[in-house]
Amino acid sequence: MSEVLICRCEEISELEISEAIEDGARSLIGVKRRTGAGMGLCQGRTCRRLITNMIVQQTGISPAEVETDTTRIPVRPIQIDSLLCPCQQKEKKEVTETRT
Amino acid sequence: MVTKSADVIIIGGGVIGTSIAYYLAKQGIKATLLESKDICSGTSGACDKAISLQSKNPGLHLELALQSAAIYHTLGEELSCELEYKQCGGMIAIENESQLTIMEDFVRRQKKFGLTVDLVSIEEARKRQPALSPNLIAATYSSVDAEVSPLKATFAFARAAQRQGACLHSGVEVRSIMVKDGKVEGVITNKGVYKTNLVINAAGVYAPFIGQMVGIHIPIKPRRGQIIITEPMPPFIQGHLWSARYIVAKYNPELIRQEDSEAADLGVGLAAGQTHDGTLLFGGTREFVGYDVKTTPEAFAAILRHAVNIVPALRQVHVIRTFAGLRPYTVDGMPILGPVDGLEGFLMAAGHEGDGIALAPITGQMIAGYIVSGIETKEIQALRLSRLTSVNC
Repeated sequence: MSEVLICRCEEISELEISEAIEDGARSLIGVKRRTGAGMGLCQGRTCRRLITNMIVQQTGISPAEVETDTTRIPVRPIQIDSLLCPCQQKEKKEVTETRT
Repeated sequence: MVTKSADVIIIGGGVIGTSIAYYLAKQGIKATLLESKDICSGTSGACDKAISLQSKNPGLHLELALQSAAIYHTLGEELSCELEYKQCGGMIAIENESQLTIMEDFVRRQKKFGLTVDLVSIEEARKRQPALSPNLIAATYSSVDAEVSPLKATFAFARAAQRQGACLHSGVEVRSIMVKDGKVEGVITNKGVYKTNLVINAAGVYAPFIGQMVGIHIPIKPRRGQIIITEPMPPFIQGHLWSARYIVAKYNPELIRQEDSEAADLGVGLAAGQTHDGTLLFGGTREFVGYDVKTTPEAFAAILRHAVNIVPALRQVHVIRTFAGLRPYTVDGMPILGPVDGLEGFLMAAGHEGDGIALAPITGQMIAGYIVSGIETKEIQALRLSRLTSVNC
């Protein structure tokens, strides 16, 4: 097992992930809780397939049995201000104030 | 079916079960821990990192939290693992006069109990926590609030227990418990039978199902907490930050209703912190929705609109994920520990709600101490299941 980074966001290596599987991780979330892989900005978009393959290769279980990670909102990073109701949004509020 | 035997069976591989396994192993008792999914896969793996003392009710609750906090100081060294423990201090932001009245009383009672905590002006609070809104009216500050990685703590307990001879089995689901003449004789699982005279129910939110197997009603209910995670930021929040509404939501959610009725339904209060790598974690909700761990747009919105009133600069930050965990709620906010009347060889160690991480070390020590000595301390007497027998939930 090498020092090659599998999770680029959190800089988790192939070796660390292999050790997590050795420790009993059998799902993406099991690897995530042990190493932090998949917790970064891209939320596992890059590394989830690689980690799934590693679990399959190391344990012999079928790919279908590897539990996938739960999909949660938001789907991509989103600025908090744009999620607030218009009355609470700072920039829009200032615009209205200058208009009136 | 394979039949094995064990001195002690612990059901549940969360922070409580692994802590008990560790403290038993330390005393020379090699327990067998059975976990139906994976170590740290439930509540302990879906929570924030606060070891909060300020949020505890003065009395036994705070006393246990203080004892547990003292253990955390040297726990990383003891378990040979970096737990990201730090005594980082904590602050409770107060938005209005009615919250101030509640918090004045809370602080006065906590101080009397010996907790280091002060009520400070908003100007003073902002010197420590510049991100606070100037529209707040005051804050409390305690230097003794701390933080730890809940994931690292749970896995560290598990590994240290294993090194000292405990057996931890994942993917082993307890199906029934064998009882004869009021005594526990073993457990039947999907992977065989274990003979034992002592079972510890550390199954957290699932503890009532284990209780059902032996005909005992355990009044623990799952209470959902939703938390929001942001992109990594430079230092933004110092130590822990709660809103007074968090304390109110914990003990009396009805008081929030006049300010925001939807937030009251969801039990929204701010609990915010920043991890080692800069990510902000802020929550949360307290909802009774059964075992549903989904995150919802309603809670997402309610948390955000409350959070920006406390920390306005959050508006510029990007959210990357939300998650939810189930907290094992009891009606008096205290865990259920120790023996159960009428059933020999069955111990409880569950129902810590949001205090499982904070109270794990002391819980492990108390339960291990009871098993080794057979002596029921006054703390265990006060936390027995029998105190809640009239509760229906």
